[in-house]
Amino acid sequence: MSLLELKNVSKIYGELKALDNVNIHVDQGEWVAIMGPSGSGKSTMMNIIGCMDKPTKGEVLLDGVDISKESSKHLTDIRRDKIGLVFQQFHMVNYLTAVENVMVSQYYHSLPDEKEALEALGRVGLRERARHLPSQLSGGEQQRVCVARALINHPELILADEPTGNLDEANENIVLDLFAQLHKEGTTLIVVTHDPEVAEAAQRTIVLEHGRVAREVINENFGK
Amino acid sequence: MTRRRMFLRMITASLLRRRSRMLIALLSIGIGATILAGLVTIYYDVPRQMGAQLRSYGANMILLPEGEEKLDTERLEQALAQIPAEELVGATPYRYVRLDMTSRQQSFTSAGTDFEQVQKTSPYFSVEGRYPESTREVLVGKEIAETIGVRVGSTMELTYQPAAAFASGSAAEDRVPGATLSGSAEGWSGGVVYVTAALDGDARIAQITIDASTQTEEYGGRADEDEAFAAQFIGKSLPLTLGTDVDALSGATVTSAAVVEALNTARAEAAPVQPRTLNFNVVGILVTGGEEEGYVFMSTEDLVSLTGENKLDVAELSVLANADQLEAYAAAITGAEIGVTPRLVKRVTRSEASVLEKLTALVFLVTAVVLLLTMICVSTTMMAVVSERRREIGLRKALGASDNSIRAEFLGEGMFLGALGGVMGAVLGFVFAQVVSVNVFGSSITFQPLLLPITVIVSMIIAALSCLLPIKRAVAIDPALVLKGE
Repeated sequence: MSLLELKNVSKIYGELKALDNVNIHVDQGEWVAIMGPSGSGKSTMMNIIGCMDKPTKGEVLLDGVDISKESSKHLTDIRRDKIGLVFQQFHMVNYLTAVENVMVSQYYHSLPDEKEALEALGRVGLRERARHLPSQLSGGEQQRVCVARALINHPELILADEPTGNLDEANENIVLDLFAQLHKEGTTLIVVTHDPEVAEAAQRTIVLEHGRVAREVINENFGK
Repeated sequence: MTRRRMFLRMITASLLRRRSRMLIALLSIGIGATILAGLVTIYYDVPRQMGAQLRSYGANMILLPEGEEKLDTERLEQALAQIPAEELVGATPYRYVRLDMTSRQQSFTSAGTDFEQVQKTSPYFSVEGRYPESTREVLVGKEIAETIGVRVGSTMELTYQPAAAFASGSAAEDRVPGATLSGSAEGWSGGVVYVTAALDGDARIAQITIDASTQTEEYGGRADEDEAFAAQFIGKSLPLTLGTDVDALSGATVTSAAVVEALNTARAEAAPVQPRTLNFNVVGILVTGGEEEGYVFMSTEDLVSLTGENKLDVAELSVLANADQLEAYAAAITGAEIGVTPRLVKRVTRSEASVLEKLTALVFLVTAVVLLLTMICVSTTMMAVVSERRREIGLRKALGASDNSIRAEFLGEGMFLGALGGVMGAVLGFVFAQVVSVNVFGSSITFQPLLLPITVIVSMIIAALSCLLPIKRAVAIDPALVLKGE
């Protein structure tokens, strides 16, 4: 069953077609990588899937609902309820501790629950670092906090934008292992990357070029 | 954990862990609140302070006798009882009498008063030398001192010429109505004629009563009934001559002569009232630039010794009150029906009111300007805070923060700062007002408990208003900016 479906989606900025008649679908529980060089339309697609932008044309079905025509206020609600975001730059609130950063996500979603937030940090191996401020955490640790923050509200979809772009290899592996674990638990993952190694960790890779889907690659080695 | 607790936790963390930036905002609110609180305190206190200052302009209420009868100490006390004691700065009694300085053949208006009170009701009096402190000491107006050439240390012999019932040429100022003469003389065939005359202050006959019952009824006996005959005496000075000053009653020359004789004898036999003289030391020369320089001032006691009567012409009051309160006190004194007429010195009460009006307007204006500057400063700081936190705001929105959440967070921070700055300002403002008060007015002020909530609430409102524009900016931030890998 598909969780996300883009039908004939185009995004046009004046003359520029950032996305040109794109059709993709992602099944429930699937782990998909989106690859492509700079300017291929990755960011635009990410914004649309992340409910932060609307396509010029076409339909975007998330969990069966067309989100392409929703108001931005409604999009905020949908994003909050269904999507967990992980960013390349981590983006933590720099004056809040690790656990408080996780709780911010709970706060906007429903109710802050410190115990649950600490458990989520435990899952990413940072239970001991919960009271540290971002400035006291390494990049890898910050990204793990962000993963904990993304999964705290049990989203249907985790959308990661170059999640390992600023990490060394050891931390990259830790994050990918976390994704694998989430995938096993049935979370749908979409990872935008230009790192082939990261893409290879996914079940399927969609390659974008010039705003179009150039090809889709099934990773036959997945899970091995 | 409730959402509210998380909200407060985020706000306090934002304020406490980003101290330097927030300190600037806090400082501007705090300074604004300090000046606000200080000026409000002064604003509340100015009328009191200025009232006390303006009392140096002199008396603002005058008590006068209601009718002909002079005031006395008892009625003055009754009138003063209508004014709260703590508001009564001073009450100075004055009794004006003409005294002669025989050695120089001069006479001056002299005032008997209470010098302790004079210094309270007329603080602008300037004295060369000192105020009299005991009896037989006088304060001489500069004008008189120059005319007769007295200095501090000189002595003056002052004489009181009593209502001088029979002294011709007595001064009109010394008028004492009511002196009476009674006399008798032998009339027709040994019958005695009795006459009583009331004299006015100029020793002229004001009223005359004749008892001619011993005289022959149809002749001299008419003297006590004939109005035309009696009327001739009115306005005449003694002694009188029959035929020149008054005409005889027709057919009763002997009786008429007896009436005139009775009056002349009474006048001649009446013990002349002795003028009283006292010696005074000049201890001070009064310089005011006003009419007071033409008076000689002495203690009430001395004047009583000279005149033998303890009466007052007027009392000058200095009351710590505004025009409305003064009107109320005046009405109370009138209402007490003790024969005292209060009058407000409009020149003083009006100038007080106008000075106060200008001062309060100035305080209001300065406060408004300071609040405006505070608002600009806080707004600028919050604007900087918003651009500094663009990324964080974008992140919060990406995490699902609604526009209202963002508004609430910034408004919350702003108002928290406002409250903190307000408390700070209320305390510092009181100190500021105290310093101003002590230095400018020379007296301390009392803390107004209402000041704290007022300052805090106004500061919070100012802070909230200052946040409006920055919040508009914050809400406009696009959450997608966090994705662009900047």
